[in-house]
Amino acid sequence: MKETGKPTANPMLVLREEFDDWAILFDPDTGDAHALNPISVFVWKRLDGHHSVDDIMSELVKSCDDVPENAQTEVIKFIDELLEQGYAGYEI
Amino acid sequence: MAWNVKQDESLKKEIPTLNQIYFYLTEGCNLACRHCWLAPKLQKKKHQYPVLDFDLFRSIVEQGKKLGMTGVKLTGGEPLMHPDIEQLLKYLIDQDVSVTIETNGVLCTPEVAMLVAKNKNVFVSVSLDGTDSRIHESIRGVKGCFEEAIQGIRNLVNAGIAPQIIMTLMRRNKHQIEAMVRLGERLGAHSVKFNMVQPTERGKKMHELDETPSVKELIEIGKWVEETLAGDTQLKLYYDSPAAFRPLSRLYGQEGTGCNVCGILGILGVLADGSYSLCGIGSAVSELVFGHASRDRLDKVWKETKILEEIREGMPKKLTGVCASCLMVGSCFASCLAQNYYRTRNIWAPFWFCDLAFQEGIFPQTRLYKKQQILA
Repeated sequence: MKETGKPTANPMLVLREEFDDWAILFDPDTGDAHALNPISVFVWKRLDGHHSVDDIMSELVKSCDDVPENAQTEVIKFIDELLEQGYAGYEI
Repeated sequence: MAWNVKQDESLKKEIPTLNQIYFYLTEGCNLACRHCWLAPKLQKKKHQYPVLDFDLFRSIVEQGKKLGMTGVKLTGGEPLMHPDIEQLLKYLIDQDVSVTIETNGVLCTPEVAMLVAKNKNVFVSVSLDGTDSRIHESIRGVKGCFEEAIQGIRNLVNAGIAPQIIMTLMRRNKHQIEAMVRLGERLGAHSVKFNMVQPTERGKKMHELDETPSVKELIEIGKWVEETLAGDTQLKLYYDSPAAFRPLSRLYGQEGTGCNVCGILGILGVLADGSYSLCGIGSAVSELVFGHASRDRLDKVWKETKILEEIREGMPKKLTGVCASCLMVGSCFASCLAQNYYRTRNIWAPFWFCDLAFQEGIFPQTRLYKKQQILA
C-alpha cells in the first residue's frame, strides 16, 4: 500500500460486530465472509479516506495497552489484504 | 488478522487428498450406550461379531499412504476390543501416520496404554458420560464400566498420554458438566469435549423420547461452557456445536479451539466388514457403502465414487435450508453430512440443530447473510 495513502473501506461490504468485539465482514453478493479480531475491527472502522496508517497506529496506541512492536507491520499487511481483495481502495 | 470463513475455491478443481481413514474396527461393542449413533451389537463371550481383518487393515493403510493419507482413526464399536489390537498398534508405530483412538477406556490396560504411547503422534479420546458410576453406567448400559474407564484414563496418563474426555450431553448428565471438567483436571486429561446426541440410530430414539436437551438449552449450555467455564480451567474445552453458534474468538482466536468442520472432503470410512463408507454411516445406510477393500482398490474408490464426486463438486454451494444462508458454511460444511443424509436422504440437507434453531428463531442473526425477518 502507499505509505501515505488513506484507504477507504468498500461500502458494499457489511460488518457485523459481535459480543466479544470480534466481527464478521462479508460481501452480501457473494457470501464471502471473514472473521475479524478486535484490532482488525478497529482498523476497518478507520478506513474512511481520512486516516493514514500512521493515524490509525496513533489512535491504536492511545486506545490499547501493550501494543506489540510488530503492530504496524501487521496493520499494513491487513490493509494490503483488503486492498488486494477489493475490500478497500483509494478515492480517486 | 482476518480469517476466511469460506471454502478455498481450489478445493473444487481437483480431487482432494485423502487425509485420514476412519477404521470402525469392530462391529460389536463391550458397552451398550443409549445414545450411540452406530448402534453396534453388545458383544458377549457367547457371540463374537465381525472385526476388520488385520491384513486388510494393513493393505488399506499402505494404499492410503500412497494417496497422501497422514492419519488414521481407530474407532468402533470399541477399537481396543479388536483381537489383534496389539499387532495393529505395533504395525502403526512404523507407519509415520498420526493415530487417533476413540475408546470407552474399559479395555485400556497398562500394556495397551504403553503400546499406544509408542506411537509418536497419537491422540486418544475416552468417553465418559458421568462423573459417577450411577450416571455413567445408566447411559453406557454395563455395570462396572465407570471404574474401568477411569482406570483406563489413569493407565493412559501413566503411559504419558493425556487423553481427551468426551462427554455426550443428555438430560440425565447435563448437571455434571463442570464436575466433568474438574474430574478431567484431577485425572490429568488433555481436554474435555462436549458432544450433542446426534439423532442417528440409538440417538434418534433418545431425541424421540425427549431424553436430550433442547436446542435452546444446548445453545445456552454452549455459551456458558465457552464464555465462562473455559476461562476457569487449564484444560481446553471443546463444545461441539456448529460454527454459527460459537464465538468467533473461540473459533479463530489464539486461545481458540477451531471449527467443527465436517471433514468429509478428506476422510473415508472403513467398516468392520471391510466395506468402504462415508464415515461410519454405511453401517446404517447401505447406499453410502462404496465397495469393499478385498476387491476394490482404494484409489479407485476415492477418486471415482459418484457420491464423493458430487460432494466435492457441490460443497458448500449446493447446501440447502439455513446452510444456504449461513455465513459460516465454509467453516462448517453443514456440520455432518452423514447425519444430514441419514435424517433426510438428501446429502445437501441442513444440519438438524441449525435447522431447528432457525425454525425457532434462535439462530444467531449475525451469522446469516440476511437477517431472519428478511428471509422469513
